[in-house]
Amino acid sequence: MENNGIFSLLAENLKTFLQYTGFANATFGHILMILIGLLFIYLAIKKDWEPLLLIPIGFGIVIGNIPLFPGLSISVYEEGSVLNILYQGVQKGFYPPLIFLGIGAMTDFSALISNPKLMLIGAAAQFGIFGAYAIALIAGFAPAEAGAIGIIGGADGPTAIFLSSRLAPDLMGAIAVSAYSYMALVPVIQPPIMRLLTTHKERLIRMKPPRAVSQTEKKLFPIIGFLLTAFIVPSGLPLLGMLFFGNLLKESGVTKRLAETARGPLIDIVTILIGVTVGCSTQADKFLQLKSIYIFGLGAGSFVIATTAGVLFVKIFNLVLKEGNKINPLIGNSGVSAVPDSARVSNSVGLEYDKTNYLLMHAMGPNVAGVIGSAVAAGILLGFLS
Amino acid sequence: MKRSCIILALLGLLISTNVLYSQNMSDIRINEILVTNTDDFEDDFGNKSGWIELFNTSYATVDISGCYLTNDPENLTKYLIPRGDILTKIKPRQHTLFWADSEPYRGTFHINFLLTDSKEILLVSSDGRTILDRVVIPHSLLSENVSYGRFRDGIEVKGDDKSTDIEKTWGVLSRTSPSTNNYGADIEPPGMVLMKVDPFGAIMSFTAMSVVFISLILLYVVFKNTGKYNMSLSRKKAERAAAGSKRKVSEEEISAELFAAISAALHTYFEDDEAHDIEHTILTIDKVTRNYSPWSSKIYTLRETPKKS
Repeated sequence: MENNGIFSLLAENLKTFLQYTGFANATFGHILMILIGLLFIYLAIKKDWEPLLLIPIGFGIVIGNIPLFPGLSISVYEEGSVLNILYQGVQKGFYPPLIFLGIGAMTDFSALISNPKLMLIGAAAQFGIFGAYAIALIAGFAPAEAGAIGIIGGADGPTAIFLSSRLAPDLMGAIAVSAYSYMALVPVIQPPIMRLLTTHKERLIRMKPPRAVSQTEKKLFPIIGFLLTAFIVPSGLPLLGMLFFGNLLKESGVTKRLAETARGPLIDIVTILIGVTVGCSTQADKFLQLKSIYIFGLGAGSFVIATTAGVLFVKIFNLVLKEGNKINPLIGNSGVSAVPDSARVSNSVGLEYDKTNYLLMHAMGPNVAGVIGSAVAAGILLGFLS
Repeated sequence: MKRSCIILALLGLLISTNVLYSQNMSDIRINEILVTNTDDFEDDFGNKSGWIELFNTSYATVDISGCYLTNDPENLTKYLIPRGDILTKIKPRQHTLFWADSEPYRGTFHINFLLTDSKEILLVSSDGRTILDRVVIPHSLLSENVSYGRFRDGIEVKGDDKSTDIEKTWGVLSRTSPSTNNYGADIEPPGMVLMKVDPFGAIMSFTAMSVVFISLILLYVVFKNTGKYNMSLSRKKAERAAAGSKRKVSEEEISAELFAAISAALHTYFEDDEAHDIEHTILTIDKVTRNYSPWSSKIYTLRETPKKS
């Protein structure tokens, strides 16, 4: 009798334990999301597509989609859990400015300073943001949501997270994953558009080598750049401030240690945290919605618009430029701020048509201008829609 | 000299601390008052009394504990807002309500005077001297259950009028709004307002793209000119340097490629080991040296083995 009591107690406990396991709580959504996470990891390892982003995000998706019994303070959405605490950096938006600090500290703006007209390409590519914004409005999204979706076209993960955390927190997971996925897919999305919109003759345009930029100009750039852009769009202050501050650390020549920390350990730590927590935030019940599919569709659209706008802008710009000063339209795609992937794409597509025409340095100009442009665009959207 | 600098720095710190303190407190405004309450909101005790609403105009939490509310300019410390109550911390852009029922034992938010007996209400800082805000009660304008307040919460203006004239900033309100906005609680978010006039986002896109272009065009103009100036400077320098050889230096000659070529030549010249065409074909295995440091020594990181005495 007593033995029966022990066995029934053990069976009861075992039954309770089984209720807590992932197997008992798994749904089709969880399995699908885990497969998506594994796909990200596969693409990162096998195809080498943005491994620094896709590995943390992919594994984060796997972590976030382990089926849980609610109320154990484990999930990223349960207040006080470790993942939730780490997720605060995304929710409150303090990871993206820290990433911008690192980007500033690792970016060399020389290409842009030596040929400042390339900045305009960085501005033109922001059409992707506002094109996607307009389409999202037509698709029935609220203006704030449309703004947050549009920013995917900036091809800037941190900016997308920063803006969506303020304008549409519910859509942040889908927007962040979409932005980072398309950033990883830049080498796949952009080349066909670039080839489609340019003639063979245009692809062979050789640009003048950039002039040497003095250290004084490099030091002045972050200061003047910050003052001008921040006075025009104060709402972009967190991103612009940190970007230019990081660059000043790099160029000042007297804060080498700080610059190395910002572009090294600090950005690495924040990248790990932002990647894994954004991945975790894609829990099946929150992520697998019709809206997410729309967001992915609009994100792809915004990348296409941004690339098209950048390339077409260069073609139009060339009409007013003198012979010898013309710009190779293959660098037009670099106006999106996926640094340095889109510049690499310009270079590799350029080399396909002329083995000696290296466009990388030229493409870095619009590429870093795109970073500034997307931060400014984010500031405008925040100012108008929040 | 050094001592006077330290004294000046300390004074500066003292003044700035004082300024910061007063900035915090001065963010609180008297926002709305109801003198006679017969058919309006009830307090937690089910009583209808007059009330005073305070508003935190800042974007940071402000703790009003230790401040005073009074209806007597001769007695600025009439009602002390008790310390130790977390509810006295007013969140950014939020309100708090004090019941003017002359029943202070009922809690922090029940003050010790009535508004029907008062000519003026003053909010006084915790120093008991500094008046943070004050408002004269226009009894003749106020009937029962009609409140008197700022047209816009915490703001000294009415509409687009920038005047700070009290008659333009305060008035009889169309409805009472204790602990909520006097204006704007029911206004639509800016995005929705924008959508009504711009349903497809065309105006917004055009405006925003214009701003992006203007920002980057400004940068372009500044750095175009900075570059020109810098190039002319470096050309002059180069011309001065080349003056001895009477050789004119053209712009193309000082391109990045020229510098790269010079750097490569210098590197080859100075790094003798690199300046050979034939490899030595000698494989050397150097012993790896381990530099000793007490910081990396295991001896210092291990506990000593216990010894028998």
